[in-house]
Amino acid sequence: MQQFDLRVLAREMVDQARTKGAVMAEAYGLEAKELSIEVAGGQVETMTQAEDRGLGVRVFRDDRMGYAFTTDLTRVALQATVDRALANAAWTGEDVHHRLPGKAAAYPRVDTLDQVIGQTSIEAKIELAKTVEATAKAADPRVKITERSAYQDSEYTVSVVNSAGVDVAYRGAYLGVYIYLVAEENGDNQTGFAMAYSRRLAGIDPVKVGREAAAKAVRMLGAKPVATRRMPVVCDPFVTTQLLGILAPGLTAEAVQKGKSLFAGKTGQMVVSPLISLIDDGCLDGGIGSAPFDGEGVPTSRTVLIGQGRLNAFLHNTYTATKAGQVSTGNGVRGSFKGTPEVGTTNFFLEAGAQSPEQLLGQISEGLYVTELMGVHTANPISGDFSLGAAGLLIENGQLTRAVRGVAIAGNLLTMLNAVDGVGNDLTFFSSRGAPTVRLKELPVSGT
Amino acid sequence: MTKRPPKDDLRDVLAVALDHGGDFADIFIQKKVTTGIGCEANQIERLNSGIDLGAGIRVIVGEATAYAYTNDLRKEGLLHAAKVASHAARGNRTNQPVVLTAAVPGIDLPVEQRPDQVAVADKVEQVLRANHHARSLDARIKQVTVGYADLTQEVTLVNSEGLYLEDESIRTRFVVHAVAADGAMIQTGYDAAGGTVGFELFREKAPEDLAQAAVDRALLMLTARPAPSGRMPVVMAGEAGGTMVHEACGHGLEADLVQKGLSVYAGKQGQQVASPLVTVVDDATLPGKYGTFRFDDEGIPGQKTVLIEKGVLRGYMYDRFTAGKDNCPSTGNGRRESYQHKPIPRMTNTLITPGNEDPAQIIKDTAYGLLVQKMGGGQVNTANGDFVFDVAEGYLIENGEVKHAVRGATLTGNGPEALKVVDRVGRDLGFSIGTCGKDGQGVPVSDAQPTIRMASLVVGGTGEPRQQGRAQGKIRRL
Repeated sequence: MQQFDLRVLAREMVDQARTKGAVMAEAYGLEAKELSIEVAGGQVETMTQAEDRGLGVRVFRDDRMGYAFTTDLTRVALQATVDRALANAAWTGEDVHHRLPGKAAAYPRVDTLDQVIGQTSIEAKIELAKTVEATAKAADPRVKITERSAYQDSEYTVSVVNSAGVDVAYRGAYLGVYIYLVAEENGDNQTGFAMAYSRRLAGIDPVKVGREAAAKAVRMLGAKPVATRRMPVVCDPFVTTQLLGILAPGLTAEAVQKGKSLFAGKTGQMVVSPLISLIDDGCLDGGIGSAPFDGEGVPTSRTVLIGQGRLNAFLHNTYTATKAGQVSTGNGVRGSFKGTPEVGTTNFFLEAGAQSPEQLLGQISEGLYVTELMGVHTANPISGDFSLGAAGLLIENGQLTRAVRGVAIAGNLLTMLNAVDGVGNDLTFFSSRGAPTVRLKELPVSGT
Repeated sequence: MTKRPPKDDLRDVLAVALDHGGDFADIFIQKKVTTGIGCEANQIERLNSGIDLGAGIRVIVGEATAYAYTNDLRKEGLLHAAKVASHAARGNRTNQPVVLTAAVPGIDLPVEQRPDQVAVADKVEQVLRANHHARSLDARIKQVTVGYADLTQEVTLVNSEGLYLEDESIRTRFVVHAVAADGAMIQTGYDAAGGTVGFELFREKAPEDLAQAAVDRALLMLTARPAPSGRMPVVMAGEAGGTMVHEACGHGLEADLVQKGLSVYAGKQGQQVASPLVTVVDDATLPGKYGTFRFDDEGIPGQKTVLIEKGVLRGYMYDRFTAGKDNCPSTGNGRRESYQHKPIPRMTNTLITPGNEDPAQIIKDTAYGLLVQKMGGGQVNTANGDFVFDVAEGYLIENGEVKHAVRGATLTGNGPEALKVVDRVGRDLGFSIGTCGKDGQGVPVSDAQPTIRMASLVVGGTGEPRQQGRAQGKIRRL
């Protein structure tokens, strides 16, 4: 790969934009080295190695913003990209709240780069994916098919330069393993899934991941629907994390300012059960979503969004903070150089409670333990209404008795979070989001 | 491409890719030029232009695939990626020097108004027209989001079997999303249009029409009652779109899932898997549709494939790799999101073909059930066939009449079971567009179906279950 220093190119783009008439300008560069290995039947099925890079430039003129990006880093292409951004700025809405952040006094110390990941051989990484699969197959003879057992890692450099004095870069890396498999018995096929992501190679336990996926698939064999009725529902950490994900957009100031948040105007009020505390922490030690600064170069921070049921704060980037007369929380998130920094979560999680998952189940005479949701992307983040396919296990007299599938659960997220009457002590992260087991007093379950 | 790499260079790169052996290699070079416009809070918030240029190099050895991609399209950059892929593959060298021959498309994809020749001002105008119209319709409309996107893509593809291909494709998409509020109640509605077309998209559907549809849906949901819950007959209108066929059987008929034993349709060729009223095809050649193409991303011409004929399973959707395993030709379903991904079997435009019945009569003949007027998104577990999809607009049917609107409904079912209980099929046909996700890759697809009735599906609402044995269910407000 032709070597470029994206931070230097970013500086050049900002200077160029200013020379060509931008009042403010910002360039964001991302270069990444990715590796992914997929294994099935003890053999490598697909190995992908990539070097990926690009720059995006944001310019402001007459209170209007324009954006353009390119993966072509030749001088001519970079100039054309700046020109396109400036041309685009002619058509967007005038908005006096556009600002770029200045240089920060200090950035949080976040350890994002485990050098060991890059130094480890591909063979050792293949072995990790193979171990996940072998462990899963050895765990139970009914584990028959591996859809995919995978290893992946990424090592990347982020650069942000702007005309207000920001000129920063950092390097990061993460890795993960995951497996999708199928257990089979008497013509019945059930899927199991498990994953683990970490900032450190030593943080991955392939044996645990393999065993977990096998157990999940096997326990679903023979699953049947239940009769339609209301019952207590316990959500495992993965399901709770997925449900909280629907809520996340509503906790951004952007949603509030656009009238799209369930939480608008409720700061200081009790909005959910007092057992619920929701946190976003951009400098969480070891967090996959951790970084010293966000996509605009603003230092990351820890924000208590909901504290013991009470709405405390919203997430901000520089634009929403300016508009609200507040300070950015360092949540100007960008997934790549292809887009502008939006307000988003970093490490977003529900704080652990006191009870063990067994204690939460133990008090239920009949209920549903939900381990799988389908159609989460169809839930409505604005109204909070959801109606989702669900699968899991029946709880009878505090014990998990038989597998359940083909049912739907429905309700409203706020109503549901108000009905939480137990939070587990098993906070588990799935990449950058996490939650413990949560018990709901009652939810309508549709089945036969 | 500003300049496509010379054929001779690509031949050299292929040779390096196969240096350590391999059964097959290809180079996929892609240039994507995009425009994205976003309007929200009554102003154009975003105008984004992009150029994404890159190459993906694949080497297949037996059952293994090595893939490398890069943004560096100089010969040195491609050779480096080829070495990486070749090093990862390591087979027995079996290949001879390659003679590259140009591929011939099966269909033409005429675009009348190329997006790169339409002024940004005109694109912005369509977005603002939709925004203004939506906001003018009702005071309860609190927020309107309008999105416009166009893509002009150039592909150069060569492979070790001697294929050389230069292709161009164009897609345009327009989405309107409306938020309506009345007191504490907030509801949303959306409508979208898109295809392998240029700016002529707006001749077929004016921005105002899409705005109207989105607003109507959001307002309707304000007064809708909670959907009933439990098992009941479901009528899906032709206009509802094709999410059901996509989820209920489409994914399960993709050959990679079938070969891995991850599909309930595995090993069922020639068997009755659906009602005799049901015929399902995947057709990449439908003019202008969102999933249409001249060539798939492995250089195979787009084609029409009969998947289920009168209820009998006829075939699966193949890419080169899975076709090789089954000793059959690829059906031209090898697609990839971009140069960053290897091709896998994917749907294109997937539909249940129309029958003979009058759609209105199907509703008239339904004593009780749910009418799905517009479907939202969905998901399927192909291993057991369970699927779910969201109802964006639905109504209760009582004694053959369409009654009040319902909100918050999800349909849950099992693919083979749902298709077996199809007992009525209308003569209409309605399309919906979407981005289909699989293995972390999103590709543009469209899906379609006529008005159909399914004797029984699980509706997951928040309303009371219908009492057994009562002719008319009463839905209580919660």
